[in-house]
Amino acid sequence: MIEVRDVALEVGARSLLEGVNFSVARGELVAVIGPNGVGKTTLLRAVAGMHALAGGSIAIDGVPVGALSIHERARRIAFVAADETPVEALRVRDVVATGRYAHHRWWEWRENASDGSAISSALAEVGMERMRDRVFSTLSSGERRNIWIALALAQETPVLLLDEPTTHLDVHVAQRMLGLLQRLARRGKSILCALHDLNDAAAYADRLLVLGSGRLRIADRPDAVLESPLLDEVYTIEMERIRLTDGSLRVFAKKR
Amino acid sequence: MLLRLAGLAAVAAAAMLVGLLVGGTPLPASDVLGALAHPRAASDVAVIVWQLRLPRICDVAFVGASLAVSGALLQGLLRNPLVDPYLTGVSAGAAAAIALALLAGISAVAAPGIGFVAGLGSALLVAALARRGTGLDPQRLILAGVSLSAFFSAIVALAIVRAQSGNSASAIIGWLAGSPAGRGWNDIALSLPYAAIAALLILPAVPALNALRVGEVQARSAGVHVERAQWLVLASAALLAACSVELAGMVGFVGLIVPHVARRLVGYDVRVLLPASAFAGAALVTIADAICRTIAAPAELPLGVLLAFIGVPAFLYLYLRDGSAR
Repeated sequence: MIEVRDVALEVGARSLLEGVNFSVARGELVAVIGPNGVGKTTLLRAVAGMHALAGGSIAIDGVPVGALSIHERARRIAFVAADETPVEALRVRDVVATGRYAHHRWWEWRENASDGSAISSALAEVGMERMRDRVFSTLSSGERRNIWIALALAQETPVLLLDEPTTHLDVHVAQRMLGLLQRLARRGKSILCALHDLNDAAAYADRLLVLGSGRLRIADRPDAVLESPLLDEVYTIEMERIRLTDGSLRVFAKKR
Repeated sequence: MLLRLAGLAAVAAAAMLVGLLVGGTPLPASDVLGALAHPRAASDVAVIVWQLRLPRICDVAFVGASLAVSGALLQGLLRNPLVDPYLTGVSAGAAAAIALALLAGISAVAAPGIGFVAGLGSALLVAALARRGTGLDPQRLILAGVSLSAFFSAIVALAIVRAQSGNSASAIIGWLAGSPAGRGWNDIALSLPYAAIAALLILPAVPALNALRVGEVQARSAGVHVERAQWLVLASAALLAACSVELAGMVGFVGLIVPHVARRLVGYDVRVLLPASAFAGAALVTIADAICRTIAAPAELPLGVLLAFIGVPAFLYLYLRDGSAR
């Protein structure tokens, strides 16, 4: 479980976010949304222990993230960055095997049986097992995204953080990706991810966190968030809301 | 992969054996093997083998292995294939200190020691400039290494200009051209403890270097203490480069090209790549040294010059072929 209490974040000397409070329970998929530059990535990095807090506390299953060693942290939290790292000449399996780093002490250089099964099940989970011997750089964007998630899954952590996992993906691949995250959450992971597409976020997440003007503006069920006029204010654009035949709500920005 | 590693070890051993056979006086293999088996024999061959050729071959093999491992470490850490051990500032700092020392009339015998100390001092300066928070900034490291090297090269040029009227100019130039001439068992014994320290520092960094192949952010998320790995790698790479400067002066290109060749042969796994680079580096420099000693015997070509003559076309060939294959 992720617990974020009264968190303040700064970038350089500039205050980015303050007074942020929320939690993500086991089995829950929570999406962070908000305009560009509002602090979604920085918030995820702070939860991952990669960005220092200017105030407040973040705990994973009751243990403050700052009190964990890097190794302990990597066994509790896996973070998938949005940036595409160029990886030359590595096989898919080697990339995923990196997720096992924190399960070894520095002198244990050889893979063991539990590494092998964690890597295989991570690849199977993202449907990429048959690609295990492919060279990573030859994969498509969607396949590469899946492999980064497999790397995080190989860490076998209760918490999974993803920064814009559907960026650059076509609509079909993006839906499959979000479906995968939903399945992983149902199996007990606490998942927090930053998303840009409001409708995708509402369709798959259990709750939405809306960041705006340096604060957490709304934290609620997807429908409640999409209905809120605060959404228009946060994005500084008028939204049109349409109720689909299945009863779900969708929002679209009106053309200016 | 392990078979290829064993193959490289065999090539390095064969190169060292060839190095024992050739030189100003070619020696038959049977005599050399006999002398190796009887170190205390008083024959001429035993004296040549044990007092002249073997220390020199161990020296150059040590230099080749040190530079190649140092280059592989830095290229892995910075994820930049154009980085070489001298980026640490070791060679430029050593060259400047030695040039000034020779100009001041200090005996050439002291040059290797001065080079070692000044090289490490220069590496510390580069590291201080490249520091960011508790770790190192890869961009700053490259910038600091390149700019300090340029600064120290200017000092060397100035020293040569100033020394032109005296004998020290040729001593400085000889040192810059790279040569193991005049080094013996004592120099190797002096360098060994530092190489051993470097090896001990490398061991905990190996799994981290393997993880860093997927990029700094993902490696950090997977549990890599990136800053610790940076310091371990920089310290060991600088120690190894300083050892090689002490043992052979400026020997270029080995640290740049050998890791590329080793990667082609054994792949990107650092656990295999580092020993493969060591064997390949030892083999390359030993063979180059054998050519230097024989091609214009009894005169000797400078080792650094010959390696650049071999290294540059080989490097360009590899890259141009790579480019056209893509």
